[in-house]
Amino acid sequence: MSIKSGYFKKHLHVDLTRGNAERLDLSETFIKKYIGGRGFGAKLIWDNLRKHDFKIDPLGPDNLLVIAPGPLTGVYLPSSGKNSFVAISPATGLYGDSSMGGGFGVELRQAGIDAVSITGRAPELSVLLIENGETTILAMPGLKGKNCLEAEGLIKERLGTHAVHVATIGVGGENMVKFACVNTDWSRNAGRTGIGAIMGSKNLKAIVVRGDKDIPVYNVAGLVAENAIAFKYMREHKYFRMWQQEGLMNVIAYANEKGILPSYNFKDGVFAKHDQINGATMLSGYKIGDSACFSCPMCCGNICLVKNGKYAGTVVEGPEYESCAMLGSNLGIDNFAAVLSANRLCDELGIDTISTGGVIGAVIEGYERGILSLADLDGREITWGDEEAILGLIQKIARRQGIGNVLADGARGIIKRWPEMDKVILHVKGLEQSAYDSRSSLSMALAYATSDIGAHHTRAWTIAKEMEQGQNWSDDEKVDIVIYHQKVRPLFDMLGVCRLPWIELGLSERHYANFYKYVTGEEASLEELLERSNDIYNLTRLINVRLGTSRKDDSLPRKVWANPPLTGPTAGRIIKQDDFNRILSLYYQKRGWNEDGIPPASLERKFEDWAVPAWNEHR
Amino acid sequence: MEGYIMTKRLTVIPEQCSGCRICELVCAIKHFRVNNPKKAAIRVMITYPHPVMRMPIVCSQCRSPLCARVCPADALRLVNGVVQLIEENCVSCYKCLEACPFGAIYAHQDCDLPIKCDMCGGDPECVKACPKAALRLIPEAVLGESKRLNNVLSYAQMKEIEFYEKGEKKIIRYAEIGEES
Repeated sequence: MSIKSGYFKKHLHVDLTRGNAERLDLSETFIKKYIGGRGFGAKLIWDNLRKHDFKIDPLGPDNLLVIAPGPLTGVYLPSSGKNSFVAISPATGLYGDSSMGGGFGVELRQAGIDAVSITGRAPELSVLLIENGETTILAMPGLKGKNCLEAEGLIKERLGTHAVHVATIGVGGENMVKFACVNTDWSRNAGRTGIGAIMGSKNLKAIVVRGDKDIPVYNVAGLVAENAIAFKYMREHKYFRMWQQEGLMNVIAYANEKGILPSYNFKDGVFAKHDQINGATMLSGYKIGDSACFSCPMCCGNICLVKNGKYAGTVVEGPEYESCAMLGSNLGIDNFAAVLSANRLCDELGIDTISTGGVIGAVIEGYERGILSLADLDGREITWGDEEAILGLIQKIARRQGIGNVLADGARGIIKRWPEMDKVILHVKGLEQSAYDSRSSLSMALAYATSDIGAHHTRAWTIAKEMEQGQNWSDDEKVDIVIYHQKVRPLFDMLGVCRLPWIELGLSERHYANFYKYVTGEEASLEELLERSNDIYNLTRLINVRLGTSRKDDSLPRKVWANPPLTGPTAGRIIKQDDFNRILSLYYQKRGWNEDGIPPASLERKFEDWAVPAWNEHR
Repeated sequence: MEGYIMTKRLTVIPEQCSGCRICELVCAIKHFRVNNPKKAAIRVMITYPHPVMRMPIVCSQCRSPLCARVCPADALRLVNGVVQLIEENCVSCYKCLEACPFGAIYAHQDCDLPIKCDMCGGDPECVKACPKAALRLIPEAVLGESKRLNNVLSYAQMKEIEFYEKGEKKIIRYAEIGEES
């Protein structure tokens, strides 16, 4: 079956060094095989790496930044506002991506583009303006040092319109903090793997998009009918209202109950004052509005306002679970207003809340254990729950001042400077761990260890299922669920939709095969789509392997082996090396990779079709 | 629309809106059969961080429509309670866009005519699709009722009431009830 619709079949390639942009055609083979989003990203990155013989400095001009929505982005179906940012990550030196919600990807599609790739480095701080058929690179050195919100406001003022979507970096990105993020629609962030630093390294302050085109849909009537079922299912789900009201904040109470809430830098899995930073607290005195990504009935986003006290007036879009846990319980902060303030500060400076919380937690514990001296901390003591010092440290990281200059280099940089810090900082492959403790769930540990971007939960989030149903799971079942998640979840990123309706409300993944059919006109079964998604997982593995990854890197933070949570239901539990090695070998075996985690050489041929890289020839 | 008289109004409760823009999508699909939120007769305006606001802007079907008043071609008429665009009269001068005090009429480069809410013949798609009930179709008689009620409640807060405690006459204000003395 062929692709009849759903794409513009256009790829915008921008060379910031030469200051030019060209619209190139995407072939049907390419579209079909890589679908979109992180699929397009992975393939373009692979081709770029091959061109540079796999020698690329993540923060150098040759690193390619790909921004790609998927064929379902912006289409009338549940939660279709997703968009992927893909590049070689400065934090891990490996494949990296981060997907964001909001409306930026939708606008990109309406401008008639399926993917943007950016290379080079602009001579001056610049803004990339994409408007329907036109692309302009504007030098805007005046934006230097502006925070994300200010920059978005100034750009809209300069252009004289609010009807644009802006993706911008803050001071963190300009200073190439290795966990800097890209901020769109004021507060939607592509947070992980340091994509903001890549924009910073390219002297690219912002990307502004405006488009009016119809998003191509092959069969509108079919789509509407399928939607009626999907939306009805969601609206009638018993947790639908709860998701609208609390969003991801409901997870705080759950994680605490199960003993997987990061507390005091993962020293503990429960937090005594968890009820002061949970969803109920938010609803009782802080939440002033809902926020949804494009076409999402769940609206899991919250908007909070601090009404009194020393943080009065702080408005933040958020928090969600990860931010609240990493900047709250993980740092020993039990004051919700302070968490909101820290979250807002991260938004303004453009740094990732998860990594920021992870790094600061490690600093506090490092100081507590005597690994860091007072002099290392620039003479300012820092302890658990010390709001003022923590907010100060967030500023220092983004501005690379004092100790912040080391912290800004992330887990790898910190360990290089103070090797002993390896005991306290939780990371895999250089990416700081998300807010789910894996010590009581072997499948989650495997998920973190084998995730292509590092210790992030999006690739496979199996922890809840294992804790509830998997006490007696065999190794086989644990590996299978990890691999299944690693197949399904990337498919959502490739299609350009959010996975929450599926994972949280149980909306059947079958719907997405139908959505794909109605949008593109190609009859592909879910299994076929999952096969393509699995190919992408293999491709990102290949990228990492060619960049030096092997079994030794598919490991876990030292804490996970050595230090069990102190109290709560998971107290005393750690991952044993033997258990982990056994399950990792099984995982490789099921993946068809060798004992060292290397995919077979024949796999590489699968991706050797140079279907796209028209832009290679143009150089 | 024939014979139907619109006695209900499409109203917006901005505090409920999450900014998901499903209303825009269903509007464009209903009227143009395309997936393009920019072709909708309703748009969600979003401001952040001060003030935080998400507000769908849609035609109020004014009884004395300024758009119709400025129309040089008699293309906008109030018919059965809905301000209707008479397509064959319209000259696409877009004077109506500028005249509307709410900016609730839209233009798109692909469309020859202004895009204006027609209430979907009395059963607006946006109202049915809104997952937050931020868009509601309510009888005109009910319009403003919540504001009236708020006004009553805030007045009552200040109202003094007399009551007897152990034979002694006392006066208290509603606002003081429940407060610790």
